[in-house]
Amino acid sequence: MSDTVTERSTVSEAVSERAATGRTGRTTGGRIASHAVMALMAAYFLLPFWWLLVASTKDNDGLFGSAPLWFSGDFKLFDNLSTLFSHDGGVYLRWLRNSALYSVVSGVGATALAALAGYAFAKLRFPGRNLLFAALLGLIMVPATALVLPTYLLMSEAGLTDTVWAVILPSLLNPFGVYLLRVYAHDSVPDEMLEAARIDGAGELRVFRSVALPAMRPALVTVLLFTMVATWNNFFLPLVMLSDNDLFPLTVGLRTWYQSATLGNAGPALFNVIVVGALVAIVPLIVAFLLLQRYWRGGLTIGALK
Amino acid sequence: MSARHLSVERRQRRPIRTMITAVLAATALVAAGCGGGDESEEPSGPVKIKVWAWYPAFQGVVDHFNRTHTDVQIEWENAGAGQDQYTKLQTALKAGKGAPDVAMLEFQELPTFQLTKHLVDMGKYGANDIKGDYVDWAWKQVSNGDSVYAIPVDAGPMAMLYREDIFKQHNLAVPKTWAEYKEVAQKLKAASPGSFITDFGANDGGFMTGLMWQAGARPFEYTAAQSPNVGVRLNNDPAKKVMAYWEDMVDGGLVDTVAYGTTDQYSGLGSGKYATYIAAGWGPGYLASVAKTTSGKWRAAPIPQWNAGEKAQGDWGGSSFAVTDQTKYPKQATQVAMEIFGADKDAWKIGIDEAFLFPTATPILEWDYFVTKEYEFFGGQKVNEVFVPAYNGIGEFQWSPFNSYYFNQLSTNLNQAIEKKTSWTAALDTAQQNITTYAAQQGFKVAS
Amino acid sequence: MSVVARRPRVGRQAVAGWLFVAPFTVLLVFFLLLPMLYAAKLSLYRSTLVEGEVFAWLDNYRQALDDPEFRRGVLRVVVFGLVQTPVMIGIALVAALLVDEVTSRFSRLFRLAAFVPYAVPVVIGTLMWGFLYSPNTGPLSSVTDVDFLSSGTVLYSLGNIVTWQWAGYNMIVLYAALQGVPREVYESARIDGAGAVQTALRIKTPMISAAIVLVTIFTIIGTLQFFTEPLILQPLNPGAVTNSYTPNVYAYHQAFSYQQYNYSAAISFLLGAVVFVGSYIFLFATRRRSALR
Repeated sequence: MSDTVTERSTVSEAVSERAATGRTGRTTGGRIASHAVMALMAAYFLLPFWWLLVASTKDNDGLFGSAPLWFSGDFKLFDNLSTLFSHDGGVYLRWLRNSALYSVVSGVGATALAALAGYAFAKLRFPGRNLLFAALLGLIMVPATALVLPTYLLMSEAGLTDTVWAVILPSLLNPFGVYLLRVYAHDSVPDEMLEAARIDGAGELRVFRSVALPAMRPALVTVLLFTMVATWNNFFLPLVMLSDNDLFPLTVGLRTWYQSATLGNAGPALFNVIVVGALVAIVPLIVAFLLLQRYWRGGLTIGALK
Repeated sequence: MSARHLSVERRQRRPIRTMITAVLAATALVAAGCGGGDESEEPSGPVKIKVWAWYPAFQGVVDHFNRTHTDVQIEWENAGAGQDQYTKLQTALKAGKGAPDVAMLEFQELPTFQLTKHLVDMGKYGANDIKGDYVDWAWKQVSNGDSVYAIPVDAGPMAMLYREDIFKQHNLAVPKTWAEYKEVAQKLKAASPGSFITDFGANDGGFMTGLMWQAGARPFEYTAAQSPNVGVRLNNDPAKKVMAYWEDMVDGGLVDTVAYGTTDQYSGLGSGKYATYIAAGWGPGYLASVAKTTSGKWRAAPIPQWNAGEKAQGDWGGSSFAVTDQTKYPKQATQVAMEIFGADKDAWKIGIDEAFLFPTATPILEWDYFVTKEYEFFGGQKVNEVFVPAYNGIGEFQWSPFNSYYFNQLSTNLNQAIEKKTSWTAALDTAQQNITTYAAQQGFKVAS
Repeated sequence: MSVVARRPRVGRQAVAGWLFVAPFTVLLVFFLLLPMLYAAKLSLYRSTLVEGEVFAWLDNYRQALDDPEFRRGVLRVVVFGLVQTPVMIGIALVAALLVDEVTSRFSRLFRLAAFVPYAVPVVIGTLMWGFLYSPNTGPLSSVTDVDFLSSGTVLYSLGNIVTWQWAGYNMIVLYAALQGVPREVYESARIDGAGAVQTALRIKTPMISAAIVLVTIFTIIGTLQFFTEPLILQPLNPGAVTNSYTPNVYAYHQAFSYQQYNYSAAISFLLGAVVFVGSYIFLFATRRRSALR
């Protein structure tokens, strides 16, 4: 396979080039059929979002009593939003902030660590390298749930449970990111430039900063993006580690409300608030993905090719 | 992250944990250096008691407590509702760190937590002083002789809520016995094929246990004093009578089987699909929040009886405040447990009006405000006139020290029965067998 | 393969190399390796509610292997993986080939639409589908009488959630791989008169087999560890989604609902072994095409 290595950085150019040549379906019939299939699939992927959008404009009575895929007479979106941000002393906003904090700090931290390690695995010779890398690959396979309880007990021994570190520190570990960056650094950081820098007398850290980092940038953005999403979506770890409501990320917080709504003795069932909370929780991610399309699309090639 | 966290106790026998601790502590130190080390030192002012609870509208109750106390202050955390909180509490208790001073525990969970010896005996700190505020069965839920493991807060006496408009429309009489209840269900079915007399949520262990309780079933014989002996009799006659009855109702298409707490159940309650709702003491307020459009149409009546003229009752659930062994201030923690709600009328006003709690303290149960409160949702009916006698008529009941397992077995097997994979009474047999095996595995001496 | 090291550099590189991987390695040790060792230790002890903790050798493993609930759970995720994986990868592949073949504004929009579910947290996605599956208030209830949450159907319903969430992601991976294939390969096929469908099946698909293997292996690892979706759907029908529904759910409940930490650790290890063996069998069987070498 190694002889079919393609230059990753040219992928996006290739995309636009091909779009320009218009290599489209050759027959009109084929084109229509292709579009029909795509339309069907798109409907499937988007239906739940449409439901969510519609449902967030309803109160509980509307949710339970009107056609699920169309608006009911009452437009309650703003009422729901104001309940969302004021319920339980406005804790939702705090959850939103927590999610943002966890994903930014973990994302940046994990990417930095993965960049260092990935580059070292790809370009530096040191004893134990292959062994360590093999261990890393093996450990990717360990079921995450198996480790949550022991990690909890260990963290608790260190007095770190129920603090932001209990969520952030384990999230800094991203073996898959290391793997991706190793693959990327291996192909995209030219050895000659590394050597040239070294001959100029640059230290290894400087070589890394001035030569490797710029060359790895597209892949770094991808790893950053995916770690941030993974942390934003993380559920099990914070569920176990945190008991203080004020530290919850959105996922755990919304689950708590849902749990209360499904327990008869835990107060009013706030399904409408949960629905609108879900909507607000996914908007930032969708916006981020739309804005950063270029990066995740380009970046995904790293894992796929080789 | 204060330096206090760095001291590590009990590190013997745990080389791995100790090593990790050291590094994590170092990390914490670095982290603290990066800012955010804001934990205060030993309090010099009032004692701060950390409380975990998931009561609705609880903030007001906490504020009230803190306003009226100077030497003790509550720090409240909502660590999740129900099982979520128990999970966290168990792990924190196991870890030896991270548990609150005071935790809300439902009655049925008390023996489980008591078994692991993590609950403080509040009898030593004066809890027996308020014994007289509680009826016998409720106090027995939380105590064992002079040992007091929790202070009761709310309970779930059961009653039948029904749609008066639907009953009038179809000319139905309010049933007084379960036999009449079935007749009413049949008439309703004939008159309106799309409706059901009620919904049976086999996911709710408290509900099903309450029904069996009312029929005289006592699935467990267990007190802390007699551990490790436990009696398991889940499949005895009264329990089977209850399940056979509901099996018959479901098979006849008279009762729906949607899980409780789902949007499906709520939509059924709101749309008139269910003509009655067998509810607990918190039910009226709760119903009002999920089926607003039906306001004024509901009424409350005593739960139907197995034998005409009797007044047998069951309890759906209830909760209490317990003090964990991780507290440094057992005396103040006990005070908090006793006084958060206690028999304080200002606290209970919030509890009744905003949190829909049904009080367990006799002074509140006899309080005019509570007894004569008119519920608009029930057409101005004083529903507590139904619930208070129900509460007082509840008989003694013992829970097992492995309640999660019991509730899970009950709900898993009855759901299998609903899907017609087994009969309802056989489901009880299976649950009985599994629970017996489990208890024996856990080292209990099981009598059945 | 490039040759990096020159002799005099090796010493300096060794130090730098270790320094560079050190932070990551520390995390790896503390949040993966040591918890694992600790879990391994836990799994060799046995604790009962009454008697506390005693050393028990492999008793927990023996019990797990004999435990019908655990075995049913393993069987369920294996079957689930066998059905779910090809269906989802199939959908992703078809979508990727379509997007690669048809360039129009709509196909670009479609690419986004398919990817958006990936941006939804699993918890929230599952909550949404929980509403959609509702037999009374869900939109699907007006179309069909099927109860999506009964014990006979809920596995498919769960499969649908996974497919919805991940098909688009896998599509993008495959599409990116397709974009990386040199165009000349298609051109020559076109000259030979191959139709679009034939080109897709005979030329494009084999060309990206490495990427297909990659997404398949991650899907397999994911499905064997199936956890969050069943846990969230559980309250809707606990009779169908039981506490032992998947090995991970079982391990979770053993530890967190019943305080059987030791047994839970043993179950997790056995599951880890299944995942490990499963992944390696697959990798070995497809090693010529694999991207993970």
